[in-house]
Amino acid sequence: MSDDNSGGRTATVIVPLDGSEEATAALPVARTLAQAEGVPLHLLHVGAQAETTQVTLQAIGLAAEEIHDAVLLARDGSPAEAIVAYAHETASRLIVMASRAHGDTGHGALGAVTREVLRRASCPVVLVSPERPRTAWPLRAILLPHDGIPTTAAAIARTADLAHRSGAKVSVLHIASTTSAPPAEPGALMAPRYLDQPQHEWPSWAREFMERVVALGGPPPGVNMRLFFDCGEPADAIVRFAGEHETDLVVIAWVAGWEPEQRTTMRKVIDQAPSPLMVFPLEQPSAGQVF
Amino acid sequence: MTSPLQPTPDRLWTIEDDGFALAREHEVESVLATGNGLLGIRASVAEGCSLSDPATFVAGVYDVEPTWNGIPGLLVLADWTDLGISVEGTPLSLESGEMVEHRRVLDLRHAVLWRDWVHRDADGRVTRVRALRFASLADRNLAVQRVVVTPDNYTGIIRLDSRLAFAAARIRRWSTAPTSLPRPTMRVLSSDGQPDSVVSGAQTATTGRTVRFAIATAVNADGRDIGRPRRSDDGKDVRETWECGARLGEPIEFTRFLVVDRERSADQPTSTSDSGPTSVVRQVQAAEQRGWEDAAARHAAAWDERWDDCDVQVQGDDDAQRALRFAMYHLVAAANPEDPHVSVGARALTGEAYRGHVFWDTEIYLLPFYTYTYPAAARSLLQYRHVTLPGARRKAEAMGYRGALYAWESTDTGDETTPTSALTPTGEVVRILTGEEEHHISGDVAYAAWQYWQVSGDDEFFVRYGAELILETARFWASRGRIESDGCYHIRRVIGPDEYHETIDDDAFTNVMARWNLVRGAETAAIMADRWPDAWQALRTSIGVSAEEIARWREVADAMKTGFDRRTSLFEQFDGYFGLEDLSLAAFEPRTAPIDIILQRDRLQKSKIIKQADVVALSALLWDEFPRHVHESNFRYYEPRTAHGSSLSPALHAMIAARLGDDVLFHRFFRQAAEIDLANNMGNAAGGVHIAALGGLWLAAVLGVGGLRAREDGLVLDPHLPRGWAALSFNVQWHGRRVRVSIDRATDAVTLALVGGEGMHVALECGETLAAQPGSTWRARRARGRWNAWERVDRE
Repeated sequence: MSDDNSGGRTATVIVPLDGSEEATAALPVARTLAQAEGVPLHLLHVGAQAETTQVTLQAIGLAAEEIHDAVLLARDGSPAEAIVAYAHETASRLIVMASRAHGDTGHGALGAVTREVLRRASCPVVLVSPERPRTAWPLRAILLPHDGIPTTAAAIARTADLAHRSGAKVSVLHIASTTSAPPAEPGALMAPRYLDQPQHEWPSWAREFMERVVALGGPPPGVNMRLFFDCGEPADAIVRFAGEHETDLVVIAWVAGWEPEQRTTMRKVIDQAPSPLMVFPLEQPSAGQVF
Repeated sequence: MTSPLQPTPDRLWTIEDDGFALAREHEVESVLATGNGLLGIRASVAEGCSLSDPATFVAGVYDVEPTWNGIPGLLVLADWTDLGISVEGTPLSLESGEMVEHRRVLDLRHAVLWRDWVHRDADGRVTRVRALRFASLADRNLAVQRVVVTPDNYTGIIRLDSRLAFAAARIRRWSTAPTSLPRPTMRVLSSDGQPDSVVSGAQTATTGRTVRFAIATAVNADGRDIGRPRRSDDGKDVRETWECGARLGEPIEFTRFLVVDRERSADQPTSTSDSGPTSVVRQVQAAEQRGWEDAAARHAAAWDERWDDCDVQVQGDDDAQRALRFAMYHLVAAANPEDPHVSVGARALTGEAYRGHVFWDTEIYLLPFYTYTYPAAARSLLQYRHVTLPGARRKAEAMGYRGALYAWESTDTGDETTPTSALTPTGEVVRILTGEEEHHISGDVAYAAWQYWQVSGDDEFFVRYGAELILETARFWASRGRIESDGCYHIRRVIGPDEYHETIDDDAFTNVMARWNLVRGAETAAIMADRWPDAWQALRTSIGVSAEEIARWREVADAMKTGFDRRTSLFEQFDGYFGLEDLSLAAFEPRTAPIDIILQRDRLQKSKIIKQADVVALSALLWDEFPRHVHESNFRYYEPRTAHGSSLSPALHAMIAARLGDDVLFHRFFRQAAEIDLANNMGNAAGGVHIAALGGLWLAAVLGVGGLRAREDGLVLDPHLPRGWAALSFNVQWHGRRVRVSIDRATDAVTLALVGGEGMHVALECGETLAAQPGSTWRARRARGRWNAWERVDRE
């Protein structure tokens, strides 16, 4: 993760802007997140680096007063590559971008550049729908779907930290699947396979689930975290919950290198989530075994 | 460390946890727990980690926690195992520095938990820690913990910190509750004129019972006593600190002894004449004086004796062998033949889940193991049902019935302790009806008592306790239903073992067990009158049972509706079951959700999907009452409709699959049952091991693969060795005789050795009955599916 690899450099929140109206949808979200993270906001335009700042400003389609709280930069090269390289260079804590840019040729709701950034970034990427109004974005409620696998628990600490900084509450949602087999990773905690006596099993399970969340995520004291449970197709359950519970941000853990289009859940949530989506990159999970 | 004990290198006798996976810590603490039926100690690391849940449970002592709406739960003793280790002021932790090596090994043979840990701190200092702990099987009120710390590459200051207190998490949970309910208290009497090495105290549960404890600690550096600890004591918590200059390579040895004593109840202040605060101190001093090696040797010898009696050996399938040893280890560690006031809860003494509540699991899934291999424990567990008989009578009376209706969830008094509602994670509050409707438990208790008597020949038990249990439960069944206009006796509004269907009529399992109970009740009266007329006279007067009442039991039994259809050989699980929707379970696979969550209660209740063995459980209990084709038909009908939503279910299916010779299903269900606690990716065991599933593994191997059953004149064997098992050997006891049975695939033979006692009969299903003589060994071979005559082989 990028949290501790800054090597003394100033961490950033990056917003790539390509000049399209769609790309600017990320700005209000990025402002709130940069504020919460306590790091500067960098607006990055990938184009000819020799251009003057004024030219860059024109290229991204914003007036000078619209970037009052940010730093404007330009880089050469292919957009996704330059964004990821800049994120690495500045120890970026987050890349916040529209899920699709103008005239994007990507699949479904995910643009080609965004898709490539998602595949390659080592820091979380926040996707914002280009249709989102440019109004201020308050962060009050975060939805953290957690499948009970230790590897994906890596997203908990970062989410809890963000919640702590912003004062948001965190709803941890576990979705028991009706379509997938139990994971093989040691330490996985699914919905109880054996519900011998529900009056005992459910309280024990809920306690165990949250104790693991707390132990693995180490949330700062005072973070409001609550467990919710649903059953069914994960993407549907996430979208449903986000819609019903006035969610400002959905955090999804995602194994680095996976093709977003190949992950049904990911694709559906990107397509349908009513709020910005933070995609948290993970290492590959390990295989399970018996004692 | 010189020791009469070393961890065995034989992996068939160990359960190991290598490394450290924080998420799994609660599971590991349960799986590797040590116990002796009085004390149960979770395998938490002594220094703690961010997911530690240390607990020492004391059997039979319950607290009423406000957070559980007054439902009692097992008392958790102040954590006497806590021990922090600091090197040059920095605490050693699995979560900081470098874990060079970490391994916990549960030695099943001697019931000792070993721990080896090599830690490198940020400055490169390497410290080795070797620890062990056990709950003595020789002296059940004694437990021992030993931690040896060795500086591997440095000389420096090593500090040991011990804190005896309520576990902080538990205080937190309690502190949020209303204060109107009493809270457990702990008093520490460490400065009460005792030797420096001893801390003693008392913990009083909200139910009024007190556990006294004394802890003696000795710390040596390279053989030298390093002296008195710094101690701070605020009357509630005691902190002790030992600090010493440790030299490179020289071990610091920390040894701690715990002795506990329970006051039986407020009006019976002590369980023995030698008890009270001074007694535990005396006992712990005596243990300390004898030394931990002596305690370990006595403990190991007691376990050797247990394994001599109970070990089951499987050749050709190491996973099955270890799973069985693991199961038997926890079964032995769960029971206490010296205390008839306690039974085994659903998670034994290994975790807080199920709150130490006792279910039918004990009688149906555990008792056979004890009855055949550890009769003293079986007797004691059944005596618990006699001790709690007043509670069962109260429940029956409160519901308008006669006799004894056992609590679905029982604790120390026998009164019903089932919560009446549950909050599901979806936020739904569901009513829990098992406490009101799951009545088959009374038949299960009677069944276990009768089986124990049949197998052990313990007439004294039968006369003093068993007969009364069987009569009072028979009396309950005769009052539970009525003969209706169709001439049948109906038992309405019950829940059977399949708990997905509630408030049903004429559950086959319930009714057939009720019929069995009624018949045994009448038979018990006849046997008592015939063999023990004086005792019978006293008993019939005491419980007020008449000849007319007993005659009616037979009438009721004869009229019992069982749902059996001669044409199809099927039992209808309950009235109307065959008319329900026949949903295919396969259509819901793969899944990680329990089927009752996927389908929801209403839809599930309208379907034929069942939670666990129900009619199939009848095959397991009453095999000889029905012909084989009835077992086969019902197994083939119900097995595909069983969701195994209960941890009890897979093992019982493995048992019946074995009896029917279905190797594929046997292996599938045996493995599924074994993985309930041993798989590392399910999280099932976090709240404690599933002791009924473990008992079920023994059932599957011995009663299933071995086909063992008891008859009045001896034993019957019907071996079905599944593919992959080259041989199976087991030991059982019958009427004081010890029998060793070996089944061998290569020779297709059964070998039987009778050790001591008198002669007895052993029959082979579809074979000859052997009149075995003590000290003799016999073998029968199978040829073309039939058993040849027994041949004596000890003279070969």
